[in-house]
Amino acid sequence: MLRSLYIEGNTPFHRLPVRVKLITLMTASIALFFVSSLQILVPTFVTTLCLYLALGLPWREAFGRIGWIAFAIAIVALATWYFNGLHEALALTFRLMALVLLAAAITATTTISAFMDEITVMLQPLERLGLMRAADVSLALGLVLRFVPEILDRYENIREAHRARGLPIRPLTLFVPLIILTLKDADTIAMAIDARGFRRQ
Amino acid sequence: MAIQFTDSSVRFGQKTALHPLSLTLAERRIGIIGLNGSGKTTFARLINGLVKPTEGRVTVNGLDTVADDRAVLGEAGFIFQNPQHQLIMPIVREDIAFGLKNRGLTNAEIAAKTNAVLARFSVSHLAGRRVHELSGGETQLVAIASVVVTGPKILILDEPTNQLDLKNRRLVAATIDGLEQQVLVISHDLGLVDGFERVLLFHEGQLIADGQADDTIRRYHEVAGC
Ligand SMILES: Nc1ncnc2c1ncn2[C@@H]1O[C@H](COP(=O)(O)OP(=O)(O)OP(=O)(O)O)[C@@H](O)[C@H]1O
Ligand SMILES: [Mg+2]
Repeated sequence: MLRSLYIEGNTPFHRLPVRVKLITLMTASIALFFVSSLQILVPTFVTTLCLYLALGLPWREAFGRIGWIAFAIAIVALATWYFNGLHEALALTFRLMALVLLAAAITATTTISAFMDEITVMLQPLERLGLMRAADVSLALGLVLRFVPEILDRYENIREAHRARGLPIRPLTLFVPLIILTLKDADTIAMAIDARGFRRQ
Repeated sequence: MAIQFTDSSVRFGQKTALHPLSLTLAERRIGIIGLNGSGKTTFARLINGLVKPTEGRVTVNGLDTVADDRAVLGEAGFIFQNPQHQLIMPIVREDIAFGLKNRGLTNAEIAAKTNAVLARFSVSHLAGRRVHELSGGETQLVAIASVVVTGPKILILDEPTNQLDLKNRRLVAATIDGLEQQVLVISHDLGLVDGFERVLLFHEGQLIADGQADDTIRRYHEVAGC
């Protein structure tokens, strides 16, 4: 389910500007791609691991968040070992895990609104070209994160209503009410955005 | 300084939601009551310009809701009938900050104002919570905070105690009592508006009573037939 992965905290990594974090991630992704020396990859991995674990996530949650990706990387690594040998497999594992941990650390220390602000800034050039309104794009992102769980809840409710009335669950009777209810809400939400003064000057 | 209706009416297509009315609202506490579909929400939305008068005009502290619509939105804050709809960012703190964006404030100023308003309404502990998971009472308080933080002079609350338990009703009533703004409350909870200076009664799109709380409430019982 879609949810905010942000973790409250005030570590130095929390305070780092979003832009610095995103540029670091981008640079690291490109740079590590060219590196296959374990003497560099292992320390990089250990550094990102320490960074991630220092954020104060409970152990369970910390491993839960990267579990599936680690599992996928393990499978790829096994295949690489079989086809390209152990060194390649280890290099790939440490490289990808370092990037995953860095990305996870950024997600956990950056609020959605900080991301939104950054997106607004990054899209400024496009706005100046008259192609889009940057604030609208970041608003849209926020709205998706806010209302997807709501829509999923509603889907559940409609399904339960079907079950309670002993009706067979058909796409038509499930999605039509879902869409109508969602559109009705969308109207009110649009009004609320106006009421709260987000309209551009 | 007041809210002024001049022959204002609202039609949605063929349907008249609000018949023409003229009145001035200057009291600090105003209640709005009436049966479902009687036009209460429509009347209240006229005030901050979310609904425009089909005929006539509405002014708020001298600002016209059609000509000066943006200024009016800043003047009159609205808390919706379903406050979940007006909380538009995923996390409580981000939602409060949302209302402060595009106002030329620095991030530090936004954070300070956000923290202050959360503390004022005793909901600081909710700052990091997901909006989607708030209880009814929490949603209502956060919605009030999210509007108050932008500094409106008038607050309109549409059925603020709807769906709240007894304890939260008391809490929200006390919170409303403590607001320094001019406050208009739409409510089916007659106890909430009972002590107000002025109460309006709508019936089938018409303002049929306007005056002291107990007189208007008595009239309401008559038209409701119970
Ligand atoms: N956007 C709209 N389009 C069409 N008709 C509308 C619209 N908004 C309201 N109405 C109609 O106008 C009438 C008054 O509605 P309004 O929402 O003002 O009533 P209300 O007194 O707030 O009712 P409730 O107590 O149920 O909230 C109703 O008959 C309603 O169906
Ligand atoms: Mg209503």
